[in-house]
Amino acid sequence: MSLGDELRYLRAFHDNGNLQQIEGEIGLKPGTLLCMEQRYRRVGEDDEVLAKIAAYYDVPLETLQYHRERYRKALSAYLHQAMESETTARFELRTGESLVGKVRWWDLGAFGLELGGGEPLTVVQRHAVLDWPTANVR
Amino acid sequence: MPEDLRKVRNRKGMSVNQLASKSGISIATLIQYEKGEQRISPVDLRRLAKALYVNEWDINPRSSPLPPPPSRPPREERPAGAPRPSRPQKKPPQEKKPPPKPPPARDTQIAHLLTLVAHFGIDQAALEAEVGKPLGELTRKEARFWNGHFMRRIAEERPPKQAIDRRRAYLPEGVDGFELAYLQEQQEAGAALHFTLFDGRTFEGAVVGFSPYQITIREAGGDEITLNKLAIVYYRKAGGVAGGVE
Repeated sequence: MSLGDELRYLRAFHDNGNLQQIEGEIGLKPGTLLCMEQRYRRVGEDDEVLAKIAAYYDVPLETLQYHRERYRKALSAYLHQAMESETTARFELRTGESLVGKVRWWDLGAFGLELGGGEPLTVVQRHAVLDWPTANVR
Repeated sequence: MPEDLRKVRNRKGMSVNQLASKSGISIATLIQYEKGEQRISPVDLRRLAKALYVNEWDINPRSSPLPPPPSRPPREERPAGAPRPSRPQKKPPQEKKPPPKPPPARDTQIAHLLTLVAHFGIDQAALEAEVGKPLGELTRKEARFWNGHFMRRIAEERPPKQAIDRRRAYLPEGVDGFELAYLQEQQEAGAALHFTLFDGRTFEGAVVGFSPYQITIREAGGDEITLNKLAIVYYRKAGGVAGGVE
């Protein structure tokens, strides 16, 4: 899960507040959170800003730093490579489950994973993916 | 012995303007004082003495009138029909200076030229033969011409750039078309989907509508539920078991 997805997830489970309102409460520049939630590339380089956000959502700073390393472009690259090479991909989910299968398609919000054994296609939400093998390779 | 204001001013080396600005008395009034047309008022006398660094009694309150300016000799009357006196003749036109000698070529221009001709295997002697004079006699303008000439020749002989076939991988991360197409397909087929949420709950039902952020399903009992995608972990056709889940 990317930092943007994690922030969206945290916001959804934190009264689903208005972005501008939250930025005002935290004391961030307008648009900072919006930028972080929407970007595909690596964001959140400023640890001071991350610390403020972590304090607001009451999560450890390390959690946000962990998600910062797992940006969406990196997952896109893994999905793309797995689909092109038709190799088996592995995903650690936020729920603690591990999914292993072949990527059949992928897009902005989800990807279709063929688990094998005659199972129907599983549509996995990208924000549910916590980790993948190449996640921390930069 | 008091002196006229004009004399005192001249002795002090001051102009009327300077005295006016220093004393605060207008120029017109000063001129009237100096011409003797008006008697200097006691207040102005004090100011003038202060401005000129003299005592009040050093300045004559009424200056003696100025002598009239020397008059010009009257013009000689020219009798009618008499020729105009000739004006002093203009100076004969000076001879035009020869144009300045063009500046010689810079050393850097010559060095650059030799570098350029080295591309064609031309040495200095051959170059001088082509140019028509020793390189040391080239003007700056000529050197610029020959540098441009050889640069153009080099450019002409360079093989054309080959078009690079650049292809960018299609990364569908900017669209959510695949998921929406999948949901459309399932909706049209009337298939039931099994949804697993982050909080562990599961829902099963046929898709009745969807958007980029929500999916609405109708459960077997007829209830319609709208699921926020952010709450969904994954979903698949109902009936399947998470066989690939470890």
